[in-house]
Amino acid sequence: MNDLSQASINAFQLLISGNSDIWEIISLSFGVSFSAILIATPPALVIAFFLAFFQFRLRRACIALFNTFMSVPAVIIGLTLYLMLSRSGPLGDLKLLFTQQAMIIGQILLCFPLLVAMAHASFQAADRRAWETAITLGAKPWRAFFTLIYEVRFGLIAAIVAGFGRVIAEIGCSMMVGGNILHATRNIPTAIALETSKGEFAQGIALGMVLLVLSLSLNAGVSIFQGKGELRS
Amino acid sequence: MNTLIQFNNIRISLSRKPILNIEKLIIPSHQCTLMTGRNGSGKTTLFKIMSGLLKPDHTTVEYQGLTMDWKQAKPYIQKDIIYLHQQPYLFDASVAENIAYGLHRNGENKSVAHNKVMQALDWANLSHLAHRSAKQLSGGEKQRVALTRARILSPRLLLLDEPTASMDIEAKKQTSELLQRLKTEGVSIMISSHETHTVDHIADHHLHLEEGVLTSLELKSNTDNVTVLNPSRHTK
Repeated sequence: MNDLSQASINAFQLLISGNSDIWEIISLSFGVSFSAILIATPPALVIAFFLAFFQFRLRRACIALFNTFMSVPAVIIGLTLYLMLSRSGPLGDLKLLFTQQAMIIGQILLCFPLLVAMAHASFQAADRRAWETAITLGAKPWRAFFTLIYEVRFGLIAAIVAGFGRVIAEIGCSMMVGGNILHATRNIPTAIALETSKGEFAQGIALGMVLLVLSLSLNAGVSIFQGKGELRS
Repeated sequence: MNTLIQFNNIRISLSRKPILNIEKLIIPSHQCTLMTGRNGSGKTTLFKIMSGLLKPDHTTVEYQGLTMDWKQAKPYIQKDIIYLHQQPYLFDASVAENIAYGLHRNGENKSVAHNKVMQALDWANLSHLAHRSAKQLSGGEKQRVALTRARILSPRLLLLDEPTASMDIEAKKQTSELLQRLKTEGVSIMISSHETHTVDHIADHHLHLEEGVLTSLELKSNTDNVTVLNPSRHTK
């Protein structure tokens, strides 16, 4: 118990003192995950919109596929991507393995199905009259699409926040394709795993605190946005 | 009677069930056409086809001296025909922003758009609601905002789906007055309604849609009764 208390105090001190290693890991973690979300969100919204608003063959199969991919473990995506990016793999020539780019690709693959599935649910719950009204008032389809995004923004923000929550805390994929290299690809979850295995609990707890605060903030944010959406509808 | 637009051979089936089979639909200029029909008779489907929102299986459109198929006519009809839902959808914004929506989409200058919106609000006696959230309005107020939002775009034809349904007497009266003023301004109007007594005083023609087939009826003001000109088409 005393060890845990001491480790927690040390963790606080590490965070407050501005320990460069810790803050570098935190900033790398956020940079990679923000990049992944930024890249994944636009195409995910377009696909979700098409799945919700247009009838075409294999539509139901596509929805089922995205729902299934949502629950694929991060380590499986990491392993698949590792095999693709390794020297003997089909994308080996790109030399992306153990880089931040590889981590971003892995996180995009992780959050994409979740973004599509949650955004699809939001679009499907949207009032179809919003789209028709925009079109009949002279909006081009892409303008009407943005109008619709605005109308269902609370659900979409919740989807983006949930997607970010999934990738910022995942370890399997980042570990496999990033390699946990200090100053290069070490992010919060991989650093926690490493420090804990070394018995260096202070750094692990400090990084864990950051993830915990982030997780609480994200959940609070989602609740507020969803609450606002319910009040307005 | 000048023809604004003419649709020929409108046919559409949903899930292999024929919904509409209309040989000819002529919309006269600057006049009001009342369309009645039971629930599920295809009134909304017809309006959506006419406004370019729903692709029919087949139709040809005669408009501005051109004969086109629906796809070719779509840009023209989407520019000049506005469809209003039975319960109009107002965007999650203020009343003024809702009315300005179409102007902004058409690339209207911001200050010009603002002036037009103010005039339009004044026209509909909605100035006091300009900054109110559109989601908080009553049904009657929403209908008037939707009519104003459509009018500001100077449409040639307004398609109104049950515009006075579920409204109290005062709201019906106000909506009816706005429709009368729109007609006076030269906008062609087509109204689908069960409550013919609310709108038949502004109607010049009466069409009846049943089982996807359109019939012309004689318009009798101030009464719900209509005379079927071609009763054989109604017999099953």
